[in-house]
Amino acid sequence: MNAASLEAPSALGARTSFADVVAEQLDAVYGYLVYLTGDRSAAEDLAAETFEKAFRTWRRFDPRRSSPRTWLCRIAHNVAVDWFRAEARRRRREDTYVQGQELVEELVEGLSGPLEQALRELSPAEREVVALRVLLELDGPAAARVLGISRTACSTRLSRALKKLEERIGDVHE
Amino acid sequence: MSTNEMTLQSLLRAHPPLAPESLRARVLALEPRRAPSRRLVLVLAAALAIAVAAAIVHGLVSSSPKRQTALQGLPSAAAHRNAFAPATVNAGAGAALSGSVAAIPSIGGASTRLQRTEATLEVRVKDVASATTRATQVATSLGGYAQSVNYSSGGSSFIELRVPAQNVKIAISRLTSLGTIVSQNLSVTDLEHDLQAESAQIAELRRTVAALAAALRNPSLPDAQRVILQIRLANAKTALTQRVHARAGTIAAGANATISLTLSTKAVVVPVPRHRGRLGRIVHSAFGFLGLEGAIALYVLIAVSPFALLAALLWSLREARRRRVERIVME
Repeated sequence: MNAASLEAPSALGARTSFADVVAEQLDAVYGYLVYLTGDRSAAEDLAAETFEKAFRTWRRFDPRRSSPRTWLCRIAHNVAVDWFRAEARRRRREDTYVQGQELVEELVEGLSGPLEQALRELSPAEREVVALRVLLELDGPAAARVLGISRTACSTRLSRALKKLEERIGDVHE
Repeated sequence: MSTNEMTLQSLLRAHPPLAPESLRARVLALEPRRAPSRRLVLVLAAALAIAVAAAIVHGLVSSSPKRQTALQGLPSAAAHRNAFAPATVNAGAGAALSGSVAAIPSIGGASTRLQRTEATLEVRVKDVASATTRATQVATSLGGYAQSVNYSSGGSSFIELRVPAQNVKIAISRLTSLGTIVSQNLSVTDLEHDLQAESAQIAELRRTVAALAAALRNPSLPDAQRVILQIRLANAKTALTQRVHARAGTIAAGANATISLTLSTKAVVVPVPRHRGRLGRIVHSAFGFLGLEGAIALYVLIAVSPFALLAALLWSLREARRRRVERIVME
């Protein structure tokens, strides 16, 4: 038995297989992790880890409590936080940690240079809220649940992030 | 939301990062691991199954006819002990007496042994007065008598009956048929040891008396010695008289059984359980054992709860620390 054949006991309407959820949510989770980490290769690893964890707990997933996307994003968030902590420790150890790390690879294909540059200059927390609310189009409560913060804090963080993006794009254009 | 923000969001949505195919294949090829929660459920289910199985086995073992026989055979086992050792058998209400004469035990299985039998019966009757009369009639009809009758107009009566030992089973059977048995207790004590000891002492004392009397008949006995022997003879005769009385008392105690009978019209608080079938005994024992297991589990829970609370506290501290670190690394 693999992911393609595993079905949820509490179905999302009809019996939904994990493979269906992978097909529907993989891009969203990957995109969220790309925005959050600012690192596409790390996002790929973290997405795989996220789905592995989700696969292990798939039978316990209750669609009445949250959508699969919210549930997966919550798992991805925890996985990413662990990754950030590990990265911070590694960089401290290697003494190469630089605030506002340089991201050399392209973040998102097709984005204009100024927008990508502006995105890079946001903090991971700001990129994360943008990913959840804008890219994945989660509503306020769901995004707040993923982030583990209040809806107001989530809304404030999003406004601040979008404002920063606007300002930085404006700066680039000027 | 400003126009710029809308444009910005449209731009971001127009270029979502797409997962590479290698990642898709990697995720779809995931193999399941045994979930810890499932393991926990299995462990709990196994523990529950073991507990129930143990209770059933306990019920089967404790209700088997072999064990019942062994319990009923206790008096026989006592007979195999030293013949001079006293033996006592008590049968309470829970010992499946339920008014059955056959359930009354006897020591040694030999009616020739001297035994003291004491029975206590509590019977609920409709009419205490007539039941009291009938109880005394039962005793007299069997060659016994009512030693005391304490009748209360409040609806109860206490009667102490003495009946010949050989008729005690019949007496109990008739008395229990007066009404509904509330409680029943029977005590049988072997008196053979006492009787034999007393007989041996009497024989010894008789020999001493005879020897002293013979010595005193000697005319050449010095006066001082004669006085001493006379004192000894008097003491031996006194002791002999006491032992003879004691033995008579022992024989009398074995000859008649004492039945303490309480008759009442009051509601039964704890009725004597009916004799259960094998299945009933199994179920009863199994539930009793399960109750014991539950009590043990409760004690364990009480013992473990401080550690659980400590673990919960540590977990919440860890979570708080995690949130703090998360805020630091993400912002």
